[in-house]
Formats: sequence, C-alpha cells, structure tokens
Amino acid sequence: MQTDLAVPSPPKPSVLHTRYGFMAVIGVLFILTLLSAGAAVSFGQVDIPVSQSYRILLHHITGLQIGDVQELTSGSFVDIIWKIRFPRVLMALFIGAGLTLCGTIMQAAVQNPLADPYILGISSGASLGATFAILIGFGSMGLLGQTGVAFWAFAGAVGASLLVLMLASAGGKMTSVKLVLAGMVINALCTAFANFIVYFASNAEGIKTVTFWTMGSLAASSWDKLPLIAITILLAVILFLSQFRVLNAMLLGDEAAVTLGIHLGAYRRVYMILTALITGVMVASCGMIGFVGLIIPHLVRGLVGSDHRRLLPASILFGAIFMIWTDVIARTIVPNVELPIGIITALIGAPMFMYMLIRKGYAFGGKS
Amino acid sequence: MNLNVEHLSVSFGEANIVQDVSLRVSNKQFVGLIGPNGCGKSTLLKSIYKVIKPRQGDVFLSELNVLKAGPKAVAQKLGVVGQFNELSFDFTVREMIAMGRTPHKGMLETDNQEDAELIAAALRKVNLEGHADRSYNSLSGGEKQRVILARVLAQQPEFMILDEPTNHLDIKYQLQILNIVKKLDIGILAALHDLTLAAEYCDYLYVMKEGRVAACGKPEDILTKELIGEVFDVACETYRNPVTGALGIAYLQTR
Repeated sequence: MQTDLAVPSPPKPSVLHTRYGFMAVIGVLFILTLLSAGAAVSFGQVDIPVSQSYRILLHHITGLQIGDVQELTSGSFVDIIWKIRFPRVLMALFIGAGLTLCGTIMQAAVQNPLADPYILGISSGASLGATFAILIGFGSMGLLGQTGVAFWAFAGAVGASLLVLMLASAGGKMTSVKLVLAGMVINALCTAFANFIVYFASNAEGIKTVTFWTMGSLAASSWDKLPLIAITILLAVILFLSQFRVLNAMLLGDEAAVTLGIHLGAYRRVYMILTALITGVMVASCGMIGFVGLIIPHLVRGLVGSDHRRLLPASILFGAIFMIWTDVIARTIVPNVELPIGIITALIGAPMFMYMLIRKGYAFGGKS
Repeated sequence: MNLNVEHLSVSFGEANIVQDVSLRVSNKQFVGLIGPNGCGKSTLLKSIYKVIKPRQGDVFLSELNVLKAGPKAVAQKLGVVGQFNELSFDFTVREMIAMGRTPHKGMLETDNQEDAELIAAALRKVNLEGHADRSYNSLSGGEKQRVILARVLAQQPEFMILDEPTNHLDIKYQLQILNIVKKLDIGILAALHDLTLAAEYCDYLYVMKEGRVAACGKPEDILTKELIGEVFDVACETYRNPVTGALGIAYLQTR
C-alpha cells in the first residue's frame, strides 16, 4: 500500500479547507466587507475622516448618535457620504458579489476554468444594445436618456445569450465546447455591428460615452438605482447557495452526476439563463466590468477548494470587497478624474492572475 | 436486490449497438460482463444506469423501474464505478467521497455526523486513511479509482455496476478493488476485460459479441477455447491452474 502513496506528495491543501478554518475565513471576510463598506465612503475628491464617516453612516442607519448631532445630520459631509458615496459603495458591493457569483456558476456550468459571466456573448450583446441606444437612439419610442441605454443594454445581453444557447444546442446535445464557440461567434457578430455603428457615427460625445460604458463604471449609482440590483443579487445569492450539491456534481461531469442522482441537462440550462439575466441587469446599470467574474472564483478556489458550499459564500464576499476597493481606486487615483473601473479591475486582476499561474499548487482546474 | 434487464436495445442513429439483450443478476451475485472492445458492454451498462436512453427494453432493480424512475430514486439504490473519472476542477479526497452522499440529501441538508462516519468508513475500506485532505488530481490512477470506489461505498448502494474498474491498474490494485467489491455482499454487475480474473471472481458470466449476448453461464462452463476463439478471435487452450486450482487460459500466438 505505502509504495504507491510514498511518492512525494504535492503541497497539502491549506488549513482553510477544514471546517473551523473555513468558518474563520467567512467570519473575517464578512467583517471586512462591513468595514470596507464603511471605510470606502471616506475616500474621494474630498477626504473625510473615517471615524466621522462611520458616525454619519451609523446615525443614518440605526439612529445612533455619537458625537455632535449637528455634524451628523446637516454637516457638509453628510450629503456627500449619504447621498453620493454610500449608494455607490453599496452598488460596488452588490456588483462585485454578483459578478463573482455569476462567474463561479458559469465555470461550473460549462466545466471550463476560462468561463466568466460574459461568456454567453453577453458583453458584446450589451455593447451593441448600448451603442445603438447612445448613438442612434430610440427617441421616437419614448425611451430616452440613461433608462434607454440601460434597457437596450439589457435587451442586447439577454438577446445575445439566448442566441448563443440556441446555437449551442442546435443539432443535438449542448456541450461546453459548442457553448464557448457559439459565444465567440455571437461576440464577433455583435462587435462587428457595434463597430459599424461607431465607425459611421459623427457624434464624438456619444462615442466617448460608448467607450466609457464598455469599460464599466459605478459613477451613475444612486439610491433609486440600487433596489433593482440589490434585490436581484440577493435573490440570486440565496438561490445559488442552496444549489451547492448540483454545482459540485457539475464539476464531476454529466455521467458521474447522473449516477449521483442529478440529471444536469435541465439545471445547466436554467442556471445559464438565470446567470444571463442577472449579468444583463448588472451590465445595464454599470457597463462591462471585466476580470472580476473570472479571477475571483479562481483566487478563492485556491484558498478554500472547489466545494461550492465553501466556495460560493467565500467568493461572493471576496468579490464584494474587491469591487468596493477597486472603485475607491477608480475615483481617487487620478485627481479630479473618474476612471472607468474596468481599467482598474484589469490592472489589479491581471497581476493577481499571473501570480496564480506562476505559483504552484493551484492548477486552474488542470492537472497539478 | 435483483437486477433484471429485459430485451434492451440501443441505437446511435442507424447503428444498433446493443440488440435485444436480457440479463439477470440475482440477489448478492457477482456477475461479469465480458466481450471484445466495441461489443457494446459499456453502452449496455450506461443504458442501465440511465446515461444513455435505450431504444427499447426495460430495466428493473427489484421492484424499481429504473428507466422510468427519477435519477435520485435510482441513485439511492444503485452505485456506479464508471470510466469517467477525470476532473476539470480539483477536489480533496474527502470532498470527492462526500459527494457519494448526494442522493440521500435534500437540497439544503448539510452533512451530519452519520455522513462523516460513512465517509471515514469508506476511506478505511479502500485503504486511503490519512489521505483525506490530498488533492484528487494529484493521485495516481490506482488511488483515483479507489477514491471513486469509496465514493460509491459512501453512497450505500444496494446494487453496484462497475465498468472495467481495473482498467490501466497494476495487478495489485486490480485484485484489491475486486476483493473489496466481492466482500460487499450486494449484487454486482461488472464489465471486466481480464478473463482469468473474471473467471475467478464472478459467479456467473455474460459474454457479449456485436451487441448481443453470445453466451452465458458459470465461468467454468462457458469459458472454453471454442467460445474464446469465436468471441475474442484468439487461439487458446484452457487448463486448471496447478497453483490456484482456478481456470487458466493460455493464449497461442499462431493464428
């Protein structure tokens, strides 16, 4: 027996795989999320002392009064924190959690470590919709301004993903290879249409808006936009947290899943449609934010393993924290300039990904 | 628990892979399925455990109509050691084995003490104690196969199907896996490629050729040089092994 087991063993999975280690990780991540959300409102064009930010937030949320009442209700910082920055930070929290959730689900559903929330052609479909709305417009249809762009981005995202799903399941069984290829084809097609529109557009301001939109931004966040995102993401999180057994079985493949009593075909389809809808809602409200849905699941898998009952909660919290802080960087790194957040996620995400590629012990799903 | 396969036929497009196969495994029998590559063994097994939809025929596990029942109801009774054991994402050995509990669990139910004990017992049975926290993808082929077997043991099946469970394994692990399975004291249907091992472990054999059952019976009755010659297209002589007393097969190269 021992002969075959005596080969030099690869690095043992970390203590974070154990039950208590995992509880500790979740506890720490949860507290960090709360602390981050509170601290992040202090940063911006105007820096506000962190302690004061916390007191203002606490007062607004719980009615608790710590210190000067005047300062908590009508001070100059109150509007900045409560009306502008806090909804934006909450938006970052939900978008980060949502993108990571969708990325994790997609990676399981197509059994492919390269999958991300945009794999079903969602990115280019949304871009096409948004480009159309910004540069050509739907004034005659009564959908104007931002609402119009959001609506058409959503429509484009959902339309493209349905096309991809149909294409991938045409002519027999839907396989993950066919899905990825169908996603590429639809991406190319939508990008071509969008580029066509941009090329012939004479509206320089519009083109800049399109560019900004395709790189993602949380700048347009406000309290009235928050409920849709918050409710969508919360429902999605609750739903998918309950699906950990199916998600685990997905990683084993269709045949093994059947022998464990789960027929994956229907689940996979439903998960993909739900993920497409959720991603569509997110893209419609803040544009395309790349890398988060791809890299955070891998990063957290390296920490707590592939078992979704650990992976999902940990990666959702991690994604939320990551997004809160990348947004802080996006609005503070260049004075008086609001950078698209997609630039920051890629600038931070790419080196993290490279580190994981170089580091041993995590093989991105491949053999170690 | 008995397995009854009745007049099962499977086609892929025009090709008939399995044609009108009937077989029976009575309570606690170890039944082997042998035949050359491409004879339809795997396809037959896959259609029994619901991965492939047969064109016609019925499968019963005692009273349970396997083809009509939901996958979960079947998985509570039937364990499968298949050939599909590569992972695209890594799990630890314990996580892999814990998945055997899936068919017994509700959506939101977490694993309890009893599950933990079943998982530990399964690890012990396949001699992988102390390796629970290793990564599955880092294991050798023999270890992986034992982990899969442990997962099926944790599933507590009342009947087990094995599709060439000893493929690519060293002889030591071939024997080890067959010994574990033999000791389970439940009904077993196993596709095997080694004829002498099949003769040694099986109570009864079905021989398949070109999608049909070519012969069936007790190993010593049907594993004759004529049958092996006809089904496997090799010349051989059979003899009684002077050391073990079991059936021996000497393959002759001239043909």
